[in-house]
Parts: sequence; C-alpha cells; structure tokens
Amino acid sequence: MSPRLLVAPLAILVAAAAFGAAVPGFAAGGNLLNMASQMWVLALLAAGQTFALATRGFDISVGAVAALAGVAAAWAANTLGAVGLALGPVVGFACGMLNGLLIGTLGITPVIATLATLIGVRGIALLVTDDGQAVPLELDAASWVFSGGTALPPADWVALAAVVGAHLVLTRTMVGRRILMLGSNPDAVPLVGLDEARTLRHAYALCGCFAGLAGTLMMLRAGTGLPIEGSGMELQAIAAAVIGGTPLTGGMASVPGSAAGALLVQVLLTGLNTSGISPFVAQSAIGVVIIAAGLVAHGMHGFHLSPRRPRRRQP
Amino acid sequence: MRALRRLAGAVPPSAPVALAIFLLFALVVPRFATAGNLENVLRIASILAIASCGQAIVLVLGGVEFSFGASAALSSVLAVSALPDVGPVGALAIGVATVAVIGTVNGWLVSRFDLPPFLVTLGALMIASGLAASLAGGLPIDAPPSAAFAWLARGRVAGIPVPIVAAVLVLFGTHVLLRHTRIGRIWCLVGANPVAARLSGLPTRSAVVAGYGTAGLLVGLAAAILTSRVASGQPGLAPNLAFETIAACAIGGIPLAGGQGRAANVLFGVAVIAMLNNAVVLLNLPVAYQQIAIAVVILAAVLLQRDGWPGGLWTRFGRKGARS
Repeated sequence: MSPRLLVAPLAILVAAAAFGAAVPGFAAGGNLLNMASQMWVLALLAAGQTFALATRGFDISVGAVAALAGVAAAWAANTLGAVGLALGPVVGFACGMLNGLLIGTLGITPVIATLATLIGVRGIALLVTDDGQAVPLELDAASWVFSGGTALPPADWVALAAVVGAHLVLTRTMVGRRILMLGSNPDAVPLVGLDEARTLRHAYALCGCFAGLAGTLMMLRAGTGLPIEGSGMELQAIAAAVIGGTPLTGGMASVPGSAAGALLVQVLLTGLNTSGISPFVAQSAIGVVIIAAGLVAHGMHGFHLSPRRPRRRQP
Repeated sequence: MRALRRLAGAVPPSAPVALAIFLLFALVVPRFATAGNLENVLRIASILAIASCGQAIVLVLGGVEFSFGASAALSSVLAVSALPDVGPVGALAIGVATVAVIGTVNGWLVSRFDLPPFLVTLGALMIASGLAASLAGGLPIDAPPSAAFAWLARGRVAGIPVPIVAAVLVLFGTHVLLRHTRIGRIWCLVGANPVAARLSGLPTRSAVVAGYGTAGLLVGLAAAILTSRVASGQPGLAPNLAFETIAACAIGGIPLAGGQGRAANVLFGVAVIAMLNNAVVLLNLPVAYQQIAIAVVILAAVLLQRDGWPGGLWTRFGRKGARS
C-alpha cells in the first residue's frame, strides 16, 4: 500500500481527536453517525471522480450532472413510484457517456469537454424545470430511506455498497485495469491492442453514473430536485479524491482513499462548524489541505519529478 | 499571396465565426445592431476580455487557473473594507495586488514543486473564497459612495467608457507581451516543451512565476472594475469567472496543451460569448438557452480549430503564413 493513501486516514484521526478534545459532543455517537451519513454525496462524487482521475483527466461537470439527475429522479419517482429513482444514475450515465465521447472519441481535452457539459447540463436542468423551479418529491417512502431499518439508514447502505462496488470495479475488473493502464501509460494502450477511446468512455461513464447516484441521494435528502444545486461540488469532489491519495497525474487511484478524503472534508466542515468558527473558514482549511496533500505527494515522490539544474561546482 | 497568408496566420479562425455571428444577429435580433446596445455589449465584454487575457497567459504556459473567481471576490472584499481608510486609489491598488499576489504564489507552487496547476489553483480557489466569505461574514459590504471609486466602471475617457479603454489597452499589451517580448517568447517555449526550455538554459521557473503573477495582475484589474461597478465588496463577485475565461480562450482558439495563443484569440472568443449572451437577453429567451448555446459553441469551436479534421484547412493555411 502506497504511503500516500495513509495521509487522509491519519489526518481524519488527528482532526477527529482535536475536535473531540475541543468541542464537547463532537465525539458523541450520534454526531459521528450524522457525519458519516452527510459525507455520502461527496464520497460518491469523489468515487466517480477517481475513475476520471485515473485516466489523467478529470470531470468538472459532476455537480451539474448530479443536479440534473436529482431533478430527473424526482420527476420519475413522482410519476412511476420508487422505481423511478433509478432514472438518476441513468441520466448520470448518459451525461458521463457524452463526456467520454467528447474526450475519447473526439479527442477534446477533459477541461474543455467537461466544462461544456457543465454549462450545457446546467442549461438543460434549467430548461426542464421552467427556469429553475424545484421539483418536490411526492414519495411516501422517502423519509424511510434515512430513518428506517437497521443501525445505518438504508441510504447509507446503498451508498456504502456503491463505493465498495466502485472499488471492486477499479481493482478487480478488466474495465478498471484498462482505466489504470491508460492513466499510467497512454502510449502503451494502443500497442497492446486496446481501444483508448473505449476505455475513456468507460471511465467517464462510470464517473457520470456515480454523479447521478450522488444527485439522487442529494435529492432524497432535500426532498426536492433542485436544478441549481451542486455548484462547486465538482471541485470539492476532485479535492476529496486528491486528498485521499489519487494523483492528478493518473495511473494510480484508490476509491477507499477518495472516500476517506470525503470523510476528512466532512470532519473538517462539521468540526469547525460545531466549534463555532465560521463555516467559511472550513473551506479555506480544505484549500490548505489540498495544497498540503500535493506537497506531501511531491515529497514522497522525491525530487526527481522536477529535475533541478545541477549546482555548479566551486573551483 | 505571402502577405495574405501572414494575415491568415495572424487572424484566428474564430474571427470569421465571430463576424458571421455578428452579421446574423444584426439581421435577426431586433435592437442588436444599435449603438447603445453595442456599447453595452462591449462594456460587459471588456471585463471578461481583461480577465481572459490573464487566463490566456496561463494557458500559453501550459497551465490552467481555476482560482480567478475566488481571488477576484477576495480582492473585492479587501478593497471595499480598506476603502474608508486608504481612499479609492489605495483601495483599488490593494484589490489588484491581492489577486496578483495569489497568482504569484500559485506560479511559485507550480514551478518550484512541480505541482499540477489544477491542484494548486483549486486549493487557492477554496482558500480565497473561504477567506472572502468569512471576512465579509457571507454578506456583501456596501462601499461608501465615492466618485473616484465609481469612475473605473462608469467614467469615460474621450467619450469612451473606461472599461472598454482598459480592455483595449490590456489586449494590446498582451499581444505585445506574447509576441514581441523576451518573457512572452519564454512563456510560449515553456508551454510548448518545458523540458526543452529548461535544457536550453532559459529561466523557466521565474518565467512561470512571472506569468501567473501577470495573469493575477490582469484579473485584479478586472476585479477592480467589477467591484467599482457593483459598488460593494462581494464574496460572490464572479463565481464562474475562471470557467468563463477558459471558455472564452477555448472558443477563441487557444489550445489547452499550451505553447500557443494570442490576444486576438481572446478578443474573438470573448466577442462570441458576449454577443450570444446579449442576443439571448434581447430575444427574451430563458437563461437556459444561453448556457446550452455556449456549451455547443465551445465544443464546435474546439473541434473546428484543431489540426486535421474538419477545420484543418484554415489552420494549416494560417500556420504556413505564420511560419514563413
């Protein structure tokens, strides 16, 4: 196991210990469970993002895709019942496939392709909701998702299963191995007879699918499909994945790492919030953590990444 | 023929597209081609043009800047809170310096530690927007009325609005900087091939820091004009500024791979976005159409302007002229 994957769990322990000591009630069981169920939206987005990052790309459209998927799932659940919720991930998959086509088949850089998708999808979400009207969910079973059943609410189980599934897809399937191979050496992919464009389509479709799932979960939490929700989440998701130890340079990726990154973000947000510090400071703290994560990775990688000119010897 | 080719090399392929859109809108959209409306379009476009020149420099360097929106917001909040103490000129200087400093630090982190620009500027985005929001307490700070402070957005020089004059100067300056100065050529080389640039003994590190710093300076100017226009310190001044500038550069034809890019690309990219936005407003369409149109235009522009299929004809013709 790469040492960079330990950074986020260690940081979580340190942060949790610090907040636990400083803030009464932080370490209470209820609060810990609360944090765990609040992090799933971000964790799902980060898990999806891991696939895009593994190919040396990234997807900045996931926030907008999640919003559109939430709206679509709310609408479908209102007309079809609980089965309709499945439309969320399907919409996400379609948007991800579009990204994959733009990046893989047409060869557009990920920033531009997913930026266009971000703007376009946001437009579509506004269009289908009459300029941003919220779509309230009229499903009786909705509240059960967050309360009913066992120790963990059903929504948490689904999200947990999805994250585990993402981990298995990345590490145990051909699709996942191809995605990792593409990221570690894009030139080698055509040499062994694999289709680069197809692999990219897979990666971004997976990313979109998880964004759709996150959007559905977000909609269930809010009780309404909000077409303008999710702005800024794409960057938080990338941040969580990077903090968790998946580098932007591709080839290495860890879904549990990304989930740990999301949990760290959530611990920081909740901890700073409950300790009475402005929640905005938490955002700055996350920014510091991102750059620190990059610097730590740089330090672990050694300095061969940036070959410096050799020092001239003194005569 | 050679002169014609040179001209085709200097004029980006986005120019005829911008011209076509202009002619189309002038014919189809009512009230589009009136002096008052065009001045309005230019006035709004000028802020995006100034900021996009900054993004263009970073893109030429092979990087990308995501922190512009957040650092512009921080600059706005700092400038307005300093206004009562230091006066309008000092406040605007603080605002411009804020973004320039953030840009310089970004450039230093990118060049010194070889961190991905995306990661560094994402971190800077979160730090700056968190700081801006917590300093302002999440709400805009109203600026005390000051004629000198408002001049930047509302004043006129020889009958022309100040933002437009500033945009013209910045575009011209960026053109000269990228094409005709030593540092500009180093930026292009670093973006095209960082290893070769370093091996040929160029001061690549300081060039990268200077590039991100200059970009910050330009965005600081854009933020100052925006702050003056809204007359308040806004923690949510221009949340999508980074995305908008990247879109403008992409439509204008600056490749994200780095090494290429001119002020003319920025000019026409910004013109396309500004005209689209304006037409949607004039036609009274929902904002959704504006966003979908911009998304389609970005993709079409990027596809048409790359080498080979299908827009290769123009690019190849132009390139030859540029090299000869």
